[in-house]
Amino acid sequence: MGRYIIRRLLQAVPQLFIISIIIFALLYTTVDPIAAMTGDRGKPRPETRKRLERKYGLDQPWFVQYIYWLVGNDWLMLDLDFDGIPETPGPRKGILRGDFGLSVRGPRPALEPIGEALPNTLLLMGTAEAAILGLALLIGVYSALRQYSIFDHFVTAFSFIGYSMPIFFIALFSLYIFSVLLRLLPSPARPLRTTEDFALALILPALSISFSSLAGYSRYVRSAMLEVLNQDYIRTARSKGLPRPMITFVHALKNASLPLVTLVGLDLPMLLGGAVVTETIFAWPGMGQLFIRSLGEDPAVVMAILMLIAVAVVIFQLLTDLTYAWLDPRIRYR
Amino acid sequence: MEVTRLYSLLVVFLLAAVLGACVPPPAAPTQVPPTAVPPTATPVPTPKKVIFIWTQEFDTLNPLYTNMWFASITFQIWNCWAWDFDDGLNPHPVLVKEMPSEENGGISADGKTITLKLREDIVWSDGTPITSEDFIFTHKMVLDPKNAVATTYPHDLFEVEAPDARTVVMKFQEPFAAWQGTLWHGLLPKHILEPVYQRDDTLDNAEWNRNPTVGCGPFTFAEWKSANYARFVANEKYWLGRPKIDEITIRFVPDDASQIAALKAGEGDLGTFIAYTDIPDLQKANVRMVTAFSGYNEGIYFYLHPEKGHPALQDVRVRQAIALATDRASLVQDLLLGLTKPASTDYDNTPWVDPTIQPWPYDPERAKALLDEAGWKDTDGDGVRDKDGVKLELDYGTTTREVRRSTQAVFQQQLAAVGIKVNLLNYEPDLYFAGFGQGGPCATGQLDMFEYSTVAAGFPDPDTSEWYCDQVPSEETPEGSNWQAVCDPELESLLKLQTTQVDFKERQQTWWKITRMIYDKVYWLGLWQDPDIWAVGPRLKNVRLSGATPFFNILEWDVE
Repeated sequence: MGRYIIRRLLQAVPQLFIISIIIFALLYTTVDPIAAMTGDRGKPRPETRKRLERKYGLDQPWFVQYIYWLVGNDWLMLDLDFDGIPETPGPRKGILRGDFGLSVRGPRPALEPIGEALPNTLLLMGTAEAAILGLALLIGVYSALRQYSIFDHFVTAFSFIGYSMPIFFIALFSLYIFSVLLRLLPSPARPLRTTEDFALALILPALSISFSSLAGYSRYVRSAMLEVLNQDYIRTARSKGLPRPMITFVHALKNASLPLVTLVGLDLPMLLGGAVVTETIFAWPGMGQLFIRSLGEDPAVVMAILMLIAVAVVIFQLLTDLTYAWLDPRIRYR
Repeated sequence: MEVTRLYSLLVVFLLAAVLGACVPPPAAPTQVPPTAVPPTATPVPTPKKVIFIWTQEFDTLNPLYTNMWFASITFQIWNCWAWDFDDGLNPHPVLVKEMPSEENGGISADGKTITLKLREDIVWSDGTPITSEDFIFTHKMVLDPKNAVATTYPHDLFEVEAPDARTVVMKFQEPFAAWQGTLWHGLLPKHILEPVYQRDDTLDNAEWNRNPTVGCGPFTFAEWKSANYARFVANEKYWLGRPKIDEITIRFVPDDASQIAALKAGEGDLGTFIAYTDIPDLQKANVRMVTAFSGYNEGIYFYLHPEKGHPALQDVRVRQAIALATDRASLVQDLLLGLTKPASTDYDNTPWVDPTIQPWPYDPERAKALLDEAGWKDTDGDGVRDKDGVKLELDYGTTTREVRRSTQAVFQQQLAAVGIKVNLLNYEPDLYFAGFGQGGPCATGQLDMFEYSTVAAGFPDPDTSEWYCDQVPSEETPEGSNWQAVCDPELESLLKLQTTQVDFKERQQTWWKITRMIYDKVYWLGLWQDPDIWAVGPRLKNVRLSGATPFFNILEWDVE
């Protein structure tokens, strides 16, 4: 097993390398960070553009910039005053030495805004994911046990309403109902200072995310449970006289969880990216908001976020495979 | 943390209650001397706190490092300009005793030297006096290439001297007419930042950029939580008086609809960039609308490159026909609810516009006649005019903003009625405004007509270089800002002349000629005046907002 994990991790290195080249090429050939740095409503002055491009290494072809991103440019001298004599060492160390570049907003290291946003995103997405999983298991198992009952029909209809509504609609609708009309929960104008502020502000975005994702998860659980409940070993367990809760939650649910684990394994790394729409609407200071704000203007931050997600995908895929083996003892890795 | 504190309080309270129950009953009350006056609690006034909603978070708080609008307006809360502009765009001294002029000796006769006389009582929020040395330091930091400042303009045009602590002398190579709108937009505290610069050899990474605990505005910086909020408290040492408001929190709410919801819920006291369509709803919620003319006018540029531009647009009669064939008054009435006016020039509402200029009238018949006269006729009966085998078919691009899309649709319909086919294209702002080197559609001439709002960088000063011939972008000069590729020597000579005219009347006459020329030749076609629309919550009073320095009277703002 240990060798398997090491092999998978080593395989990830070239994968990440290729991913980084593709993302970098796309990002740095389409984004104009200088326009963002120098003004949001006007165009940058020509001399300003020239000076900042030199300072940030943006006057180089994208593949040279990629090398700077990877290994830095502190081994080069730059001619920042345009007198023909390079006099200033390059400011970058490269990601191989832990420098993800400079965010044009600040300017400050690209990892700093990520470090600030990530805990908030984990709080929001963790809460939402826990609610989704918990409710999906309850609803899915109950619907499978009471197939075609009134509850099953009601939950099916309700979950499909949630599934078919776009998240921005759910978010704005809930915002208007609970914050503007009923004034039960704070509007996005309330700053998040205390634990209470965060707790109250968490309710609507977490509910919005859960409501829209619950349908898919609960349907997965329901269909997997239905399939497992009709297996021979469940019939055997019943004929042996095992208590029903034990059959349902120990024997059936454990095996029915495999497709759910796949789904969660794919979803978890994406949680790091946050919920772009929900975070924006509720002004939640998380990764989704950071990503969308940085997309058109701050390639260093976007690159760092995407690489973080890529690494997370690799790790969570590995964890998913390991969880398979735990859930189903027949699965062995060599 | 808060929950733990609550539990701790609860435990303390319970312990106190239990212990209190064990304490013997109090002895009989002692006689109170008849002369004793029962103590009265002094009422503590509730701090006056307000919440401003910004739809964009500022990128930095160092005034040298950004031109972002939301950052610039925030500087006026906690940093200081040498002077600011009221809602009539008149300048008012802040750091200086009076505005420099020829009469008071502040501007030399040749217009090349400007002298600032600083007030005696100006201090940083930590009590350190603001002196001419702070101006010299700020100037030095702007020009140092090791600092990635947003722009070196206009510091690259002058040298600065400090003959004494209260005098700042700026010496220019040429007379500099645009000084009032461009000089000293923010100041750096030398006593805080010089040691940082000496240590790091740059201010790029200074802690002060995001945590400027020392400032010179009516409020002082308290904290900034990324993507969440920034807080400012009243500056007790501000020389023009203490603000009536005790605390301002700027909350970052990136979604426009959420901003509207927050204003309606009464949780936000001030918001901006309000869409015209949201105004009636907000007014129903007792939110007042205040418009401030900030120099922005929405309009269309025509790509007039002599070789790459559409041949039809090279003829001024075709451009005039486009102006006459489109009904901008109805567009303002229908799409913008009549809440603004059609724009005639890019300098509307300023003293720089020839007062005889009126918006182009809607006259499709005259437009057709002009097109006929220019030789553009529908020879094949397909409804689109042509000439020498070239169809009068134009690509018209803008951003994805809803009101712009609607404008495009109206234009398409109205121009089709006079035989001009228009193809509509829309881009995300970052792609649309990308420069020539990044393949931006405007900068590279992919569009025959392109629409956006623009303003002179030094507003309320009108100076701009975007009509200069050497600013036409090309492979050699990709940074050029003349995206419309207009090269008119007469226009350029007038534009260069006005940069040196320090005398207001003389300069105004030149600008009247400039605006008349741009209007007559339809180098730019005005759509509507695009003021900043502010939403002011019912609690706030005494609010006036300027288009150049919005918070010029924030000392007088109060809450009910």
